[in-house]
Amino acid sequence: MVVVLLPSLLAREAGGEGRFDVDAATVREALSEIPVRDLLFDERGELRPLVKVYLDKTQVDDLDAAVTGCGEIRVVAAIAGGAYLP
Amino acid sequence: MGVAVLVGTRKGLFVITSDESRRDWSVEGPHLTGWDVFHAMRDPRDGTLHAATNNWVYGATAHRSRDLGKTWERAEGIGLPEESELTWEKSWHVEPGHADEPETLWLGGTPGALFRSGDGGSTWEPVQSLLEHPTREKWNPGAGGLCCHSIQMDPSDPQRVYIAISAAGTFRSDDGGETWEPKNTGVAADFFPENPFPEVGQCVHKLLVHPARPERLWQQNHCGVYRSDDCGDTWERLEGNGLPSGFGFPLALDPEDPDKAYVIPEEGAENRVTPNGRLGVYRTHDAGSSWELLIDGLPQQAWASVMREGMSFDRLDPAGIYLGTQSGSVFVSPDEGDSWVEAARYLPTILSVEACEWS
Repeated sequence: MVVVLLPSLLAREAGGEGRFDVDAATVREALSEIPVRDLLFDERGELRPLVKVYLDKTQVDDLDAAVTGCGEIRVVAAIAGGAYLP
Repeated sequence: MGVAVLVGTRKGLFVITSDESRRDWSVEGPHLTGWDVFHAMRDPRDGTLHAATNNWVYGATAHRSRDLGKTWERAEGIGLPEESELTWEKSWHVEPGHADEPETLWLGGTPGALFRSGDGGSTWEPVQSLLEHPTREKWNPGAGGLCCHSIQMDPSDPQRVYIAISAAGTFRSDDGGETWEPKNTGVAADFFPENPFPEVGQCVHKLLVHPARPERLWQQNHCGVYRSDDCGDTWERLEGNGLPSGFGFPLALDPEDPDKAYVIPEEGAENRVTPNGRLGVYRTHDAGSSWELLIDGLPQQAWASVMREGMSFDRLDPAGIYLGTQSGSVFVSPDEGDSWVEAARYLPTILSVEACEWS
């Protein structure tokens, strides 16, 4: 069991829940269990480039990392706000 | 009966409401906080609100509300097929299907793609024929990306659908989206000096079908204002007879009078503000033969921009005309453009306005 923690927009999209307890072996499996998976991953299954994932406060780039023995996965929106978007 | 304007902004959706006088307005919202609402509409068939929504981190999707904005549902994973080698980048415009198909909706966006829903917006299927269009390699993205921003039904023919893509041009389907034929004859692409009238590649900024005379189409293009009286087969360029510029983005019509249309020109592609340092709407009464400037109630010291979805019209008599500026003001004319009131100000950057009945 690992806990997935979501930022506020994702929590609203998940029906007001920002914390999910999931059974998963890897980070990818855990993120695929929550009801906003389509906002984290594109249609190819690639993590969106500005979605950052921390496993027990360490950023993980390898989504196949095992979560056994870990406490929490935290989803963070990268610092990219303020860019002019045409 | 009341009237509402759904105002899509870079920071969510606002709903401004009034009675039929359309003089005094109340602002509600924001809904969909955190989402860029490129376009929102109320489906006249069942009253559901639909929004084309984007987030700079979490991608492009669509939302709907069946309780006038109290709660919202996000569409299930919208995506393009792997064999297309494309990914869905931006949701631009959501349009109700024909009245005879109450569960059908269309969603257009970047990269030059279109989705169709057959279940009221729960799920969306990509329109394969557009992804595989034989002219696709000749399409080029404008500043907003390769965006399918205009989707129009022919109210007299459920099989006939029009779309416009910047910069690919106008396309018409006579078989419900199975095939698409370019409809750009007579429309200039001045940015291609070696061939300014190609089959495709035109930069349409907005396309509308007249609801009472569906063979008449209007378009505001990067290179002029145009009208077609033959379902898009041929187009006539209309400016040079009162318009200060052929460049602009939004377009509005009078739902009862096919000869009346409204545009908001900008100085030009290289300086995208309203000309002469004021906000003015130009109206034609004679199908584009001449244009008159409307300024009563609009700011006369202003360098405004109104985006392609930033203009709308209602179905009341006299018709109301609506515009929203990038600087966050909504202006309403309850009398076909003769006079204007500022219905809201200091909203976030306005991406779209859409008038609808509200009760």
